[in-house]
Amino acid sequence: MTEQIARAEEVLRHTEDPSVIQKVLDDNPELKGLGTYEYGWADSDTAGAAARRGIDTSVVEDISSKKSEPEWMLKLRKKGLRYFERKPQPTWGADLSDIDFDNIKYFVRSTEKQAQTWEDLPEDIRNTYEKLGIPEAERERLVSGVAAQYESEVVYHQIREDLEEQGVIFMDTDTALKEHPEFFEEYFGSVIPVGDNKFAALNTAVWSGGSFVYVPKGVHVEIPLQAYFRINTENMGQFERTLIIADEDSYVHYIEGCTAPIYNTDSLHSAVVEIIVKKNARVRYTTIQNWSTNVYNLVTKRAVVDAGGTMEWIDGNIGSKVTMKYPAVYLTGEHAKGETLSVAFAGAGQHQDTGSKMVHMAPNTSSSIVSKSVARSGGRASYRGLVQINPEAKGSANSVVCDALLVDTISKTDTYPYIDIREDDVTLGHEATVSKVSEDQLFYLMSRGLAEDEAMAMIVRGFIEPIARELPMEYALELNRLIELQMEGSVG
Amino acid sequence: MTETPEKVAGVEVGQRRISIPGFTEEGENLAAETNSAADHSHGGLGKPKEVTAGAGSRANRHTGFDLAHFPEPTGREEEWRFTPLKKLAGVLSDTPTQGAGTDQEAVNYQVSGTVEGVEVSSLGHGDAPRGDVLQPADRAAVVGYRNAERALHLKVTQNTEVAEPIRVDITGRAAGARANGHIVIEAEPHSRAVVVLEHRGSADFNGNVEVKVGDGATVSLISLQRWEDDAVHVGQHDAEVGKDATYKHVAVTLGGSTVRLNTNFRYAAEGATAQMYGLYFADAGQHIEHRTFVDHNSPRNSSDVLYKGALQGATARSVWVGDVLIRKEAEGTDSYEKNQNLVLTDGARADSVPNLEIETGLIEGAGHASSTGRFDDNHLFYLMSRGIPEDIARQLVVRGFLNEIVQKIEVPSIRESLADDLERELRISGH
Repeated sequence: MTEQIARAEEVLRHTEDPSVIQKVLDDNPELKGLGTYEYGWADSDTAGAAARRGIDTSVVEDISSKKSEPEWMLKLRKKGLRYFERKPQPTWGADLSDIDFDNIKYFVRSTEKQAQTWEDLPEDIRNTYEKLGIPEAERERLVSGVAAQYESEVVYHQIREDLEEQGVIFMDTDTALKEHPEFFEEYFGSVIPVGDNKFAALNTAVWSGGSFVYVPKGVHVEIPLQAYFRINTENMGQFERTLIIADEDSYVHYIEGCTAPIYNTDSLHSAVVEIIVKKNARVRYTTIQNWSTNVYNLVTKRAVVDAGGTMEWIDGNIGSKVTMKYPAVYLTGEHAKGETLSVAFAGAGQHQDTGSKMVHMAPNTSSSIVSKSVARSGGRASYRGLVQINPEAKGSANSVVCDALLVDTISKTDTYPYIDIREDDVTLGHEATVSKVSEDQLFYLMSRGLAEDEAMAMIVRGFIEPIARELPMEYALELNRLIELQMEGSVG
Repeated sequence: MTETPEKVAGVEVGQRRISIPGFTEEGENLAAETNSAADHSHGGLGKPKEVTAGAGSRANRHTGFDLAHFPEPTGREEEWRFTPLKKLAGVLSDTPTQGAGTDQEAVNYQVSGTVEGVEVSSLGHGDAPRGDVLQPADRAAVVGYRNAERALHLKVTQNTEVAEPIRVDITGRAAGARANGHIVIEAEPHSRAVVVLEHRGSADFNGNVEVKVGDGATVSLISLQRWEDDAVHVGQHDAEVGKDATYKHVAVTLGGSTVRLNTNFRYAAEGATAQMYGLYFADAGQHIEHRTFVDHNSPRNSSDVLYKGALQGATARSVWVGDVLIRKEAEGTDSYEKNQNLVLTDGARADSVPNLEIETGLIEGAGHASSTGRFDDNHLFYLMSRGIPEDIARQLVVRGFLNEIVQKIEVPSIRESLADDLERELRISGH
């Protein structure tokens, strides 16, 4: 095993040099096909090839006019652009210096018309979603609504009729702005304001696509709504905008998945997700992000929760080159509750800088953050979190647990848990552990007849089990399968 | 940004509705958040901070003796954002000790308990080993280093075991009187000693301490801050721990208006055990800040950090920032750090920031924990149901909580006097 590790390290030390990798692969044909990214195909790309690079006012005006938006939205977009130009790049967290904003394509329209059936979609796009298994999930009624975004816009959308009859709205954000402007006037940009941060401002300027969800009072959507985001064009910037409003006493579970082809140059995904959880409502938002490793994933996600409401973020970060994402919950009403379950895998060349933010603004609010990260093959996993308890938030409670697992000697893990308390009547706890997979554990499992990478995958699965069990079954299975892929090849 | 006012749903377009109280168009108004920690503002809506934790790795933080590298802090810097800088203006300025060289120096030093095998001398600038271990990490440490003319040098010679503690009493003469102190402790290989620094009186004291723990040596440094209520104290306590050595640093901070101690460990080789313990009790008007940093810069060493504090009074404030860095080369490291705070009355505030950076997977274990809470009412109820009056029950709970640190101190007379101090503190609280 030592020799294999040494060999793997040698590869990783020179990963920037393709000839070294090729040589190792030639010497060790059994390594071929291990840990490869399964979603890396690219479709033919006429729309993307023609799309314009770079950003200025005319790009923003062009997007707005193509969508025939109300005047106020265009003004807001322009304001977003000004904030984007003015705001500095964050100097903390991951290294973002390689992002070339002038080289990015900010808007790519892949098809003229949203399809009502998969058959109406262009063949390329339909094949992509077939390969991703989305129509199958819909046929099997595993989801109660599907939205599929390809490049900048949602190309397919469907919701179960019984939900529609109950008044549930689930559609792409562009269409929703036209059909239900009243929600947008009241809530758009109210949780993540136009100038919140550089990337939220950029999203406000060029947003396109995303999901709009409204669940009326007392309605429980028992089966998840599913959105699927796919980037196809090289140097694409995807800026979807999602707004979810859960009215009093309602419940909804929204799931999103993300993939992209592998290119040599980088793409940017910068989404904004705003969630309004009203009195006693509950929203669960699950992300399984598996972008290819040339995607910068810089996302702002925030929920505001009224009295008695519950917001749950389940955040799985497997892909991307760099992810900076800290889903936040602002607990503004008494007895509101926030929960984040976060799992991150950082492989070669990846930096997962993730965590969560909980802000207690009312009495007797509670929050918990559980973060699990696995770093391997020279990747870096950072937990960065903030828990803030404001002076009026008496009787609040928070706990933060972050566990990191290192499976080799060349990977890195950090935890930066910030806690800011301005009220003394609170209970807080934070715990973190970092462990390595020991030779003993591996030996034990291997002595029971498991191959080394199976043993490693089993240990990792056990480590993230507390989070996997919160996922719907088919996603838990998918996550486990991804872990096996991730762990293959990590032990030579 | 001038927009033509246009109303949509009764709200100006330029002024979108905001769902989160306190937010502006730019989200959390970060510009207004200038050193809010320092002004002790407890009223009004707290503005959330951006998550800027760990802007840079601890490995990259600058250290050195050049004052030009450390401009006057503004309060926005990560390492100063909790500190009430107004109160530190004196100790951060590049000012010599008042009355230096006269018998009316701002601070009096008294060394006692030395025996054969312990050498006491003084070191000027440039005299080895002064500055060998100390690596000033902020402006306070550089200013103190430059302005301390003589450094007290305590050397425990090889194989010497000192049974009784070596005591250094540091007594301030007047509030606002500036003093710069520097103590160099050198424990030669296989020696054994306990050194007690006791700070009393009033002064603006800027004191650096550096400890070189030789191979196989066992050293405890106990730093007691029993200042008067008007004293200000900043200090950096650095140690380099030798091969197979054992080093323990205990900081006990009870007095002073503002005390900020930075304690830093690093290792010379392998096999060492280093422990950092702290106990503090912050009353109304006090700011007590401890910053700890364990630099696991070589393989197979262990570290254990535990700080416990109690706070009482409307403006009592404590800060603990604990950094642990396990470098790539530090394989086989075993490390744990923990901070626990007990908030006794309304209005007190405890900040606790444990940071852990790990650059290698080949470690024995690493972890950190932090908790801040009020009295456990269940504990109290249990004791009261056994017939113990509430005020006594509260004292028992606090004493039990802090006793974990008191027990780490191997000098019985200090343990006893601390028990008295804590009882006095608890009486102030009126519980």
